[in-house]
Amino acid sequence: MLSTTRLREIKKSLDPLITFQYIFSYAYLTLFLLLPIATIIEQAFLHDGSFSLHWFEKVLSDPDFFSLKARGGMMFEVHGDTIYIWGIDHGYIMNSLIVAATVTISTSLIGVLTALIIARYDFPGKNIFRVMVLIPMLATPFVNAYVIGKFFQPRGGLLNFLFYDVLHILPWRIDVNGLVGIAVAQTLAFYPIVYLNVFASLMTMDPTMEEQAESLGAGGFKLFRTITLPLSMPGLAAGATIVFIFSLEDLGAPIGFIGYSGNPLARKVMSVYVFDDFAAAVTGAISPITSAIAVILVSFAVAGFLAIKKYVTLKTYATISKGGRWKPRTRKLSFKGLIPVYLFLTLLVLSASMPQIGVIILALTDWAISGLAPKAITFEYVSRLFTDPNVMRAISNSLVYSGVAVLLAVILGSSSTYVIARSKLPGTDVLDSLLTMPIAVPGIVVAVGYFLFFTGFFRGTILDPLVDPALLLIFAYSVRRLPFTARSVFAGLQGVHESLEEVATTLGATRFKSFFDIVVPLIAANVIGGGILTFVYSMSEVSTSVTLGALREDRGPITFYISQVIYGTAAVGTVSVAAALCLLLITVQVIALAVSNYILKQRVAFLGI
Amino acid sequence: MVRVSLRNITKRFGKVVAADHITLDIEDGEFFTFLGPSGCGKTTTLRLIAGLEIPDEGRILFDDIDVTDLPSYKRGVGMVFQNYALWPHMTVFDNIAYGLKIRKTPMTEIKARVREVLELVRLEGLADRYPHQLSGGQQQRVALARALVIEPKLLLLDEPLSNLDAKLRIEMREELKDLQKRLGITTIYVTHDQEEAMVLSDRIAIMSNGRVEQIGTPHEVYRKPSNLFVATFIGRSSVLKGEVVSVDDFIEVKVGNLLIKGCVSGEEKVNVGDNVYVVLRPHDFMAVEEGEEINELEGVVEWLAFIGGIVEARIRVDSERVLVSLDADTEINIGDKIKVFIPWNNVIILKT
Repeated sequence: MLSTTRLREIKKSLDPLITFQYIFSYAYLTLFLLLPIATIIEQAFLHDGSFSLHWFEKVLSDPDFFSLKARGGMMFEVHGDTIYIWGIDHGYIMNSLIVAATVTISTSLIGVLTALIIARYDFPGKNIFRVMVLIPMLATPFVNAYVIGKFFQPRGGLLNFLFYDVLHILPWRIDVNGLVGIAVAQTLAFYPIVYLNVFASLMTMDPTMEEQAESLGAGGFKLFRTITLPLSMPGLAAGATIVFIFSLEDLGAPIGFIGYSGNPLARKVMSVYVFDDFAAAVTGAISPITSAIAVILVSFAVAGFLAIKKYVTLKTYATISKGGRWKPRTRKLSFKGLIPVYLFLTLLVLSASMPQIGVIILALTDWAISGLAPKAITFEYVSRLFTDPNVMRAISNSLVYSGVAVLLAVILGSSSTYVIARSKLPGTDVLDSLLTMPIAVPGIVVAVGYFLFFTGFFRGTILDPLVDPALLLIFAYSVRRLPFTARSVFAGLQGVHESLEEVATTLGATRFKSFFDIVVPLIAANVIGGGILTFVYSMSEVSTSVTLGALREDRGPITFYISQVIYGTAAVGTVSVAAALCLLLITVQVIALAVSNYILKQRVAFLGI
Repeated sequence: MVRVSLRNITKRFGKVVAADHITLDIEDGEFFTFLGPSGCGKTTTLRLIAGLEIPDEGRILFDDIDVTDLPSYKRGVGMVFQNYALWPHMTVFDNIAYGLKIRKTPMTEIKARVREVLELVRLEGLADRYPHQLSGGQQQRVALARALVIEPKLLLLDEPLSNLDAKLRIEMREELKDLQKRLGITTIYVTHDQEEAMVLSDRIAIMSNGRVEQIGTPHEVYRKPSNLFVATFIGRSSVLKGEVVSVDDFIEVKVGNLLIKGCVSGEEKVNVGDNVYVVLRPHDFMAVEEGEEINELEGVVEWLAFIGGIVEARIRVDSERVLVSLDADTEINIGDKIKVFIPWNNVIILKT
């Protein structure tokens, strides 16, 4: 029951500014997030015009989707001089879950270990390693898996050549591919997410917590197990869950392996199933089975998200991101300790930056066609970025989509966070969840939802993706990358004490006036910082780009172009042009990060919680 | 200026009652203070007057005009916040000029008035500085200037001195009092510092748990507290429990084996046999030089503290413990026997 006081309070809150912000936020998120997902759910549960579990039963009873028995695949099988490490097939659903679970565990181990070393020890070269371990965050969609494939190629791959042909260390040639290949590629790409989150937890941990335990006699592993690890759990939980979600929805690694070797096991994950069916969507329909798979995908992701919800709300994030009020504990590493630390970090950095190094080599040399090692440097592929009309069109599409998406995300992000931070309206908690939820909704699900919803209700209009997917790509980017802007703006708002606005109102300013005179100038740096992140991650967005973007070739963005090259369906272009495009994305990213770090002095949160 | 009336004002935050049926009048030109411990609702009451919160019940009147539903930006009050709330992205000039710009005052007049108010708060020449380039005291003056420049009919001050160091706080409160008397502006002040409240105010409202416990001049609330909360919150005191044995010009109370004479404070009459509190202020005690005095107490010194001008001692009398202040040069040690007395008209007796 709403009391009259509550009603008066709500009425007082509803000044023109807040009213607009509230309605705009809810309308936008309903139209571009909730309704599309609702449409998928509707289709998945509808059979012969009535509610039914038919499609789920069909999927779960089909061993091609779900099988507890192995259905083929190769795990450590030796044939001739080669050992095949591909993974075992248990159907799309099980495969996805097994890969995601494996990647979550492996990234957690690597992430925690790296964070502990870097947060707690001092050693020569630490700052270099600190930057190097983040290299996998640089976007190299699709090409990273291609490069890993090329390194592991049984014949002609660099690793096998080096360790089998030249050094004779290995008894067999190693062929890592299929599901294992996906897991390796994802582990190397995603461990920084765990690392960054755990690192942030360690840095914000009050050093007296550990000192007190030590004074009571806890040391070494006991200290880690009883104090350090439990206190960094929020970071670990958030990081690990985000990795789990990212692995489930990832298209880059599977498509990279498919493109590189056509390995059938690399196809057998849920995200690729949805992707393949989407390719048929040009004819105008998506099968209810795909909707059911999308519902299963989103359920797992949302379940993970809900499990860590209390760590990822705007409010928690704003407190954590402040951090560093004290000098964290660090210890000098003994000479004996140096060797394993250097060994671990060097191995990690080398293997993790392999895709990025490979991309650079591919883009700037003839490696794609020269076999084992590059033979000549060439700028031919880079120059294609500025001469090939198809490539240029993809670049300009990406720039326009990302640019407009950032504008929308900034308006949406600042509107909704302001409502959450300042008004006492009902529904602000829900809004908080909606702002962070896009992290948990796989891009491929967004794509299916948009397709079903907008072809269904806006057929033939400019919002129909079969007419023109451009607008939908913009909306998809703005919603999918909204958490970056929203969190950054919210952290800014936390820093603007409410009394700064209140004093303006006592001096005669309306809410509207005090918002633009006081709040906007004070959060400008946060808005720009969040906007830059949103831009960078929109440019490298994969899932909706390669699905919705595929509906009209002339509207495809950069990542769509790359996927076509790697998937082998592009008429023109080679892998090297795709690598040149990755190089462009990396450049944009590095510049953006430099701007936010050194000009805006913002601690960029990357994918931090 | 303006006369402010609160009529039955109530404000709840969830289960907490921050203002509990407050009714009072603040006179035109008065310096009025809400005094109380943190969480007593004094800041909430101030914010209700400013229009930053809306009351659940009750009305607020300015000169008998109901302003309860008037948004804060239309109330024309000047307010200084505890944290000063200076806008970090604006210079001192822009901070102060903001209210005038909103009122669309011509630029030439704005410049003149900002200069004037800067002189008033003795900050000439700092107009181009940014807040972070100012000291705490200077920031406080800018906040005050920003509130004063719009010539408000009512000035609201929310613990404006609490962020300053002790010495500056004393300087500033004298200045503030002086300024308020010169401008004659109705001023409502919020503080938890009783000394500050005593020095500044014409009248004080002592609050606890959202309720006004007593309203009165500084002297009244000190000498004639209406209940035990006020008696113990204002000034230091020892509280003893006893039973009334006789009621005459003064009241005689039996506390254990002691007989203490005093006079009743508060509204309620006391009768023989009533249980009462006896409140003794350390400052009212004097050493017995010779002969016998009324309210003489003899006890053993249990604890001693030298506090500049005085020595504070806790003495054990019979089974009671009493705090007394003595001349700084009194030569006593822990364990000494000491004889003190307290004039009966300074002993506060309150019904339980």
